Amino acid sequence: MGFTKKVLVCDDSIMARKQLKDNISQCGIEIEFIEGNNGQEAVDLYNEHKPDMVFLDIVMPEKDGATAAKEILESDPNAIVIMASSIGTQQQLKNAIEAGAKDFIQKPLDLEQVKKVVLAHLGGE
Amino acid sequence: MFSQFFGSYLLRKEVITSEQLAEAIAKVNESHIKLGTLAIHSGYMIATEVDEVCYLQTREDKRFGEIAVERGYLTEEQVSELLQKQTPYYLLLGQCLVDIGAIDNTELQNYIIDYESENELIDMDLSYESTDKIKQMIERFFMVAELEVSDYSVMYLELLFNNLVRFIGDDFTPLTPFPCSEYPTNYCVSQKLSGQVNCESRIDMPKEVAVEFASRFINEDFDEFDDYVQASIEDFMNLHNGLFIVNMSNSYSIELSLEPPAVDAHDVLEFNDSTFILPIIYPFGTIHLLVSLGDK
Repeated sequence: MGFTKKVLVCDDSIMARKQLKDNISQCGIEIEFIEGNNGQEAVDLYNEHKPDMVFLDIVMPEKDGATAAKEILESDPNAIVIMASSIGTQQQLKNAIEAGAKDFIQKPLDLEQVKKVVLAHLGGE
Repeated sequence: MFSQFFGSYLLRKEVITSEQLAEAIAKVNESHIKLGTLAIHSGYMIATEVDEVCYLQTREDKRFGEIAVERGYLTEEQVSELLQKQTPYYLLLGQCLVDIGAIDNTELQNYIIDYESENELIDMDLSYESTDKIKQMIERFFMVAELEVSDYSVMYLELLFNNLVRFIGDDFTPLTPFPCSEYPTNYCVSQKLSGQVNCESRIDMPKEVAVEFASRFINEDFDEFDDYVQASIEDFMNLHNGLFIVNMSNSYSIELSLEPPAVDAHDVLEFNDSTFILPIIYPFGTIHLLVSLGDK
């Protein structure tokens, strides 16, 4: 199945992180998860672990997801940043995509959409 | 007319095949006659009367409502009322797609949200009554409570009721809201919405009620008040307020942004005049919604 991929999941809700990890785990790729619960942690954890993919919630304390995405992409333009967008955060989502986020998933999550995004960016058969 | 487009929406999203759609549509037609169930549910007929009418339908080619009226079990008005109450077509269709295994309930829930949101239908259905009726009901709520009615508050509550129906269950009873200056908290989650309109929202409930509320919202059986339960209540608020922001933007071109939901650690909350409390009773307990909403 190939090498283990590192995925950083950042959301201030432990439930949302669990749901996202459950969904990603069903993609048939071996994944090591790293978790953060605010935007600043996302930036710090990214720099520390250099994960293969980052999922960022938009509405987070300390630093929102769109700002975190921008900072991560400034330090590593090849970062694969995926925004997890709740309804009502379209403008921030747009900002994040403009800053270079590669894709987004809509919350509440849809397994097929998560699979599609993960496989598109992390490969896998 | 939006209901009729739900099937084609699912096809376009490649969620289902055209064969599955055809199978589900066939099932929708089969499961169309539910007037009897609705009549029992509304208390207009008892089960034996419904059985009798169903039996008579095997003897004469008449509709359920016609026979029920002839027999004096229902009035014409009650028949039209029940027909209006009937599940919207797209929900029935969605349910049939679940029944045949084309999608699961979670997918149905998500696609309905997406479908409604894509079509700007977010505030459409509450127990399948007309939205005008719901608005009037909510306005009456405020009048009874002698609270100032604002369009935003009405919209907020209308959406809340919709979201409770969608995500928690329709077996709730809202009580009349009342103004609040002081409130002792249980487990309280707050979320601020900032922008052209001030909005502070809170949902409060005892821990054991939160366990049940989260179990319904996430479709998992939680048995203790843990971090997941707490996060689920925050997620509910986030989803609800996110939809409210979309509605405000669509209806009033008012742009708001969400701050992250947070646990309110105060034992007692103190408010100004514009905050109201809305108690909502579920079979598993009562939740309280505390809202302050007004122009800047």
